Amino acid sequence: MQKFLRSSAVGLTLLLVLAACQGNNAPGGGSTSGSGAGGGSKGTVKIGVDLPLSGNEVANGQPTFNGIKLAVDEANKNGGAGGYKIEINKQDDAVNGVHNPDQGATNAKTLVADPAVVGMVGPFNSNVARSIIPVTNEAGLAECSPSNTAVDLTKTGSDKLRPQNPDKRNYFRLAAPDDIQGPAMAAFDYNDLGKKNAYILDDTEAFGKGVADEFQKAFVKLGGKVAKRDGQKYSASVDYTSLFNSVKSLNPDVVYFGGTQVTGGGLARKQMVQAGMGAIPFTGPDGIADLGTGGSQGAFITLAGVDNSHDVYGTVAGVHDLPSGSDFSSRYKAAFQNDPGAYSAIAYACTQVLLKAISDSAASASDMKSLREAVRAYVFDASKTYDTALGKISFTSTGDIKQAFISFYKVDPSLNGGKGGWTFVKQQAFEGGQ
Amino acid sequence: MTFRILRLALIAAGALVISWLLMIGLTWLGTRSESFSNVVATGTAQYFSALTIGAIYALIALGYTMVYGIIELINFAHGDVFMVGAFVAYLIFTSLGFGGAIKSIPLLIGILLLGFLVTMVVLGVLGAAIERFAYRPLRNAPRLAPLITAIGVSFILQNVVQVLISNSPVPSPQLVSLEYRFTLLGASVPLLNLLIFLVAVVLMIALQVFVGGTRLGRAMRSTAQDREAAQLMGVNINATIAITFFIGSALAGAAGLIYGLYKGNIVFNLGFDAGLKAFTAAVLGGIGNTVGAALGGFAIGFIEVAAVTTGLSRWQEALVFSVLILVLVFRPAGILGQQIGERA
Amino acid sequence: MTRQRGTVEDSETGATALGSTDRLFDFFGRHRSVAIMAAMLLVAIALPLIVLAPPFSGFNTQGVWIDNFNGAGIYVLLALGLNVVVGLAGLLDLGYAAFFAIGAYTYGLLASSFYGIHVPFWPMLIVGALVAALFGIALGAPTLRLRGDYLAIVTLGFGEIVPVVFTNSDALTNGTNGISGVDRPSLPGIIFGASNPVPFYVTMVVMLTIVLILLYRLQDSRLGRAWMAIREDELAAASSGVNTITTKLLAFALGATTSGLAGVFAASRLVFVSPDQFGFTVSFTILAMVVLGGMGNIWGVAIGAFVVFIVQSVVLKQLTNFLQPLNIPFLSSIDFLQYQFLLFGIALVAMMLLRPEGLFPSSRRRRELHTAQGDDLSSPQESAEPLT
Repeated sequence: MQKFLRSSAVGLTLLLVLAACQGNNAPGGGSTSGSGAGGGSKGTVKIGVDLPLSGNEVANGQPTFNGIKLAVDEANKNGGAGGYKIEINKQDDAVNGVHNPDQGATNAKTLVADPAVVGMVGPFNSNVARSIIPVTNEAGLAECSPSNTAVDLTKTGSDKLRPQNPDKRNYFRLAAPDDIQGPAMAAFDYNDLGKKNAYILDDTEAFGKGVADEFQKAFVKLGGKVAKRDGQKYSASVDYTSLFNSVKSLNPDVVYFGGTQVTGGGLARKQMVQAGMGAIPFTGPDGIADLGTGGSQGAFITLAGVDNSHDVYGTVAGVHDLPSGSDFSSRYKAAFQNDPGAYSAIAYACTQVLLKAISDSAASASDMKSLREAVRAYVFDASKTYDTALGKISFTSTGDIKQAFISFYKVDPSLNGGKGGWTFVKQQAFEGGQ
Repeated sequence: MTFRILRLALIAAGALVISWLLMIGLTWLGTRSESFSNVVATGTAQYFSALTIGAIYALIALGYTMVYGIIELINFAHGDVFMVGAFVAYLIFTSLGFGGAIKSIPLLIGILLLGFLVTMVVLGVLGAAIERFAYRPLRNAPRLAPLITAIGVSFILQNVVQVLISNSPVPSPQLVSLEYRFTLLGASVPLLNLLIFLVAVVLMIALQVFVGGTRLGRAMRSTAQDREAAQLMGVNINATIAITFFIGSALAGAAGLIYGLYKGNIVFNLGFDAGLKAFTAAVLGGIGNTVGAALGGFAIGFIEVAAVTTGLSRWQEALVFSVLILVLVFRPAGILGQQIGERA
Repeated sequence: MTRQRGTVEDSETGATALGSTDRLFDFFGRHRSVAIMAAMLLVAIALPLIVLAPPFSGFNTQGVWIDNFNGAGIYVLLALGLNVVVGLAGLLDLGYAAFFAIGAYTYGLLASSFYGIHVPFWPMLIVGALVAALFGIALGAPTLRLRGDYLAIVTLGFGEIVPVVFTNSDALTNGTNGISGVDRPSLPGIIFGASNPVPFYVTMVVMLTIVLILLYRLQDSRLGRAWMAIREDELAAASSGVNTITTKLLAFALGATTSGLAGVFAASRLVFVSPDQFGFTVSFTILAMVVLGGMGNIWGVAIGAFVVFIVQSVVLKQLTNFLQPLNIPFLSSIDFLQYQFLLFGIALVAMMLLRPEGLFPSSRRRRELHTAQGDDLSSPQESAEPLT
């Protein structure tokens, strides 16, 4: 006991010393100042970015990051935003090549501690968002995810992620959540493709299982039957053959894969065809509809093989008919010598929203701290609209996009000189928010 | 010698039949409502995919068990050696201009033989080099030192492949068309599955003959038993250990090639995962025992497929490791391991 | 038999003529707990000050550094616990992260709105540690009879099973989505927040101090000597009257306890628990920390864990951000994120080849090693560390 008391005394002294250090040092840390040599005249503000940028997940993270970089570079060429030059503070949440919630939270803390960071784009994965939002919420940093679709991030249950400031939302997103995307494909499978008996397979991860659950609910509600539901955790040496062998005799007429091409989507289709079930359509969420050309690194069609990619349908949680669509991809191509990824345009739009908020609030904010708060408040002013690469958009009070569109795509193996590519089928508008 | 091989063949044949029946039984458990012919067809199809996966695990497990047998090192880099094998085969085939199925049978056989030969030699050399530079200097260090080195080598191999080739999965050429199939009891099985099984069995038998019947094999066995005594008898310890690594890695290379043909999809981090399963297989069979490793490999493949068949796909990994724990609790030296005490 | 002593006490033997420093060492040598407290206090105050100076200040601000230290502290705790199992008792545990997960989930379930139960953080530290210890005993009891390498694979299997169970038990643990909105610790007047890492830091320092004191006492106790005896030669230990099963089980339980403690702290810091935080890479990282630091040496392991964590999740992650503004022609253009594990791997191999006993080997281990060296013919059974 005595020892405990002594330790506590030690702790208390420490606390005091540290508090003193903190006080002296609070605003100093980051590189806030800038002479305005670049685009802006008032100095530099930063957009924080957290994405998986190493290992296997580069395939997702890098094209998304490029979208952000393109928006920032273009803004700087046109004089920055609100008189500020824009920089990027980039953080990687992959540990050992896999997105990691713990590293995500550490990165978010790094970002919020940089006083020049007034807005953030990311993360890529819903599970990482669950550890990041409490951090950014506490700091009042506006955060835009281009790709998170888990329902509880903005809707029911999202207050758990904001223990410190439950009434001060800061997280918004541009992808339509699972409870829109899953049912959209269910309706498409049931009505448009006329399929009644689905085999549902998920990757046991937060995104894949979440969207597959929503698909299943909606498909059953429509009157469809679920032949079998399986979950197969992705590992680099995973094998799907036995899964498909086991459902063959149950005669499913459609397959729904909840997951992404990184967590096995392409491989699952390949092995499905090899198990002799190639005639059955393979459908999935935006995780598989990466819109990548066959042959490009890590794309669904590359992984499945173009010969196996017939009858593959995917949803994209965004609008197809981009007003600036072809324009965006040509600028992207010019900048990065590569086709945009599925989330490049959305990440670009995320950045556009933040940049607009920065330039409109810059005048009223006296310092970085008030600018950060002004940007957050601006984004959650439901009356604001934004002209983005995705068209005119606005947000609900919960931070979901009002113009929620689901676009349906199909693989056309004959595209791109036989390398395969995704073609647009149709798009559908949904009431955003609730 | 002949008697031993005959006995082994008999046991193997028995195991093959029993596991087939077992798989059909498990399929029936998983899908009770179906007709009998459906159950037999599904069970047979599952049986062949278990054999294929098991053959790959078994080939990798052999390397683990050989290295462990001779220097008592859990070579965590071995899984990544297997991965490098898959990529070497990929590079050979694509650089020769073969991206897909080869229609001409003689050409196919020629290319496959060439692929096996080159991959196995390259990987053998790689394995021996790893031993020479990463493990040999540590032969007298604390037991955990080479283990950590092995983890380090594993990271290095993964990252070199990642940087040099790709950080996302790469489609590997499936030279043997999957359209070649045979039908058995209503199940349509790719001929490739059978081929993989046969290749694995041939390699395993070759290994048994080599270890059991050649001078070098005798040197390996004696080194494993008592290194000092072997040395006194004139066995070149360093060379023997290097050869063990060469053979183990060559087998992993062959497994890598087979894996590429079967999966058509390889990625830089596939080795750690597959290696973990293969290591489990080696322990399950009784580490240090080559027949046990093969048996363990097939057992793991069987459990994985059985998990899916009975509708427990989400619990697949947990099942594999639960079986492992149970086997070890009740039979602490593995299925075929000798029940010997601690070597002090 | 020389009892194993830490670095501080090693000077004791040489100190015949007592200078003032010697007298100080002598005092701390006899009052180990006071020495640890003083050292921890010194380190805890020095660290946040050091990071104000370049080059450290270039990586992060002080506040973020302190938060990084909290993260590092979790791994130091984990490494200290694993050191009891691997370093002292010589049992190879490859699934240590499982106990970390159990500790974290215990807190996540009992201190969040998931079940609506909100047990305060402080008693949960003990509960989490005890639950983890129970699982340690439950796993250890049937399997500790196994030979070392078999035990390794069993623990590895356990480490794989635990996250799968958490992933698939939707009703009990919210499955793959994990538990969000886990409670932060609370003390009147002090806010434990994401942007206020100091209270967490103090908590961690106090926890580490207590754990270090206990570990040092244990190591020098009858039990500690029994662990080392088993590590050296299980047969000889058994014939000298050591109950090997109970002794090993205690090592296992104690390792799990520390891990559970770390889990509770981690869950309250991240306010989120999910199964994907506890994969086998975590187990391997902790093992690498223990070995790099020098198995068996408590301080060495602690420093090893600290350095590995900081290098892995701060320095390598921020290196690109750090180098870019400096405009060094070649270095600035490299994206180090892509090479972080290559560097880590090379470091592990180089380290082991150059200094296989770890950075800070315990003096006992060093002796064992150096008597064995230069004796090329010796069989591994004799010369290598008898781990089993």
